[in-house]
Amino acid sequence: MAAAIEITDLHKTYNGGWSPALDGLSVQVQEGQIMGLLGPNGAGKSTTINILCGLVTPDKGNAKIFGKDCIADTLALRQMIGVVPQQIAMFSNLTAWENFRYIGKLYGLSDKQTKDRTHDLLLRLGLDKHADKRINRYSGGMKRRANIIASLLHQPSLIILDEPTAGVDVQSRAMILNFLKEYNQQGKTIVYTSHLMEEAELICDEVVIIDEGKFVVRGAPKELINNTTDCKRLEDVFLHYTGHSVRD
Amino acid sequence: MNKILATIQKEWILLRRDVAGFMLLFLMPAVLIVVMAMVQDAPFKDYQELRFDLLLADNDHGRLAQEIRQGLKQSKNFHVVDSIDGKPLSEEHLQKLLKGGEYRVGIVIPKGATAEVINAANTVANRISEKIGMGKLPAREMRDSMYVRMYFDPVSKPTFRMSISFALDKYITYSCSNVLVGRLSKLGMAEAGETLDTAQTDDFKKIFQGIGIKEEALGDKGNISQFISSVQHNVPAWAIFGMFFIVIPIAGNMLREREERSSLRIQLIPFAHNYVALGKIFFYTLICTAQFAVMCAIGLWVLPQLGLPALYMGLHPFVLVPIAICIALSATAYGYLVGVVFKTATQATPFGAISVVIMSAMGGIWVPVDLLPGVMQQLAKVSPLHWGLDAINHIILRNGNIKDVLPHLAVLLSFSSVLLLISLYANRRMTHSVQ
Repeated sequence: MAAAIEITDLHKTYNGGWSPALDGLSVQVQEGQIMGLLGPNGAGKSTTINILCGLVTPDKGNAKIFGKDCIADTLALRQMIGVVPQQIAMFSNLTAWENFRYIGKLYGLSDKQTKDRTHDLLLRLGLDKHADKRINRYSGGMKRRANIIASLLHQPSLIILDEPTAGVDVQSRAMILNFLKEYNQQGKTIVYTSHLMEEAELICDEVVIIDEGKFVVRGAPKELINNTTDCKRLEDVFLHYTGHSVRD
Repeated sequence: MNKILATIQKEWILLRRDVAGFMLLFLMPAVLIVVMAMVQDAPFKDYQELRFDLLLADNDHGRLAQEIRQGLKQSKNFHVVDSIDGKPLSEEHLQKLLKGGEYRVGIVIPKGATAEVINAANTVANRISEKIGMGKLPAREMRDSMYVRMYFDPVSKPTFRMSISFALDKYITYSCSNVLVGRLSKLGMAEAGETLDTAQTDDFKKIFQGIGIKEEALGDKGNISQFISSVQHNVPAWAIFGMFFIVIPIAGNMLREREERSSLRIQLIPFAHNYVALGKIFFYTLICTAQFAVMCAIGLWVLPQLGLPALYMGLHPFVLVPIAICIALSATAYGYLVGVVFKTATQATPFGAISVVIMSAMGGIWVPVDLLPGVMQQLAKVSPLHWGLDAINHIILRNGNIKDVLPHLAVLLSFSSVLLLISLYANRRMTHSVQ
């Protein structure tokens, strides 16, 4: 299987930062995988995602998506990746449909393409009856689902989700996770960050644990649980490798 | 193009939903124009159109007093008050009234003023007749202590004092000339054993006048001329000011999108940012142009209802359209830059508002640039508001055409382009180094 993402020796220290956000991180994600990128606060997950999206330039090292450099080929890459940011990146005073129509236009989609794709995604994520409501009148879970739809309109081959289920209820979470599994079955690669280990255990083919900007361990959730002493859940593995000290 | 149109459509939906904000965009400049035009109406008249009471104490009761009184009464600016409660005004009473602050100016014509004028005319006529061997008119030694005295309320401006002084001087000179012409005619006719009738005297006066003055309009502008007035200044000036206040909604809109992270969505879409920027610029340029049209409509149809003159749009009013678009583009580009550079509304709003006030003061919005000190007149050229206002003045005051305002349009377009390029560059740098 070809590599969808190749991260090699990434270094990044922000201006004024007292320690590196990334300190020689190297990771590979295979095409068609659901990869969980896990780590405590400040581990470097968001920085890694921002570098992959071309929003942050690394100090050293390189990152490639489908063989294209994330910095040099940013614009071409953005057409191939769908990023679901942690925040609800939508126009809150527009309805969901108005948001999707606008985003579709910006991606260069025709009205018909946008309409068909939006209709399908709204149905699959249970928002079909709420398309004409303004985003600021949506519940937290609805906003999260709309946020995912907005990132998938251009049918990207790789989807990067930054804590897509943060702050949502159990039902919305289940719907989102099921949707991601289905979407992955269409051959799409998914990179997913979360602090919820049971979620990662449930949907990820593999997880990578990083801490303090460095690679820590990688493997299938069950494999990691079995191979780590006294661990019954992925959360135990996570704590085993990253420790119990609270991160700021 | 679709992306730009989609952005314009999106901005329109957002603005339409913010009904209060939408109304304020048009309502506030409209109120500003009406208030400023009314408040500044009197100062702009600058004593030329203003009619005010002028106290006159006539101790002469002769021809000079009569001609001064007649001149003042014929003027549109003065209402001569020469008696109070049916009693002729005395010098003491006049001074008392002025000190009370109720009146602005008083004139005292001294006793014997006409006699002094006649004596002066006789003296001059005698000197001329000596040379050509004609008769002699009665004359005595000239007095140099005879004056028509003027008194002013201390709050009167120097320009006001000067205009009164010029007016009086004109009437006195006119009277003296008439007397002199009369005396010379009398001498000549007496020599010939004839007498003058009124028509002949008037004819002499006309000949003596030599050359008159007549004000005409400039260039090909026919006989239409327009003076700067409260309406002619305030409508375009405050319309431009209001247009530049678009900086607040634009910057606010951009900061809100940054806060709600919808701007992140735009960043993640390839090439979208530039189209979105252009869409925003075009949209707000349209709004600003519409603002200008509404403000002109107020000048044309609302201000006359409030007792002010209607806005005169010049001989080429359609040239105002490209001017308005260029001003709108400058205002929008400036707003966009403020929205890019500042990170919070707390920074952007006061900076945007105060910088527009400063640029407007520099650019002659508050006070016409011609009245500013030399240094400020030079500094005015830095302000895009100045170029906008001057271009409009070319059309509505000087009856100019498109050729007259091409340099102004070029400056405004350059200003907009530079700001837009800086904004796009700054935005690119800032969004590429998030966190």
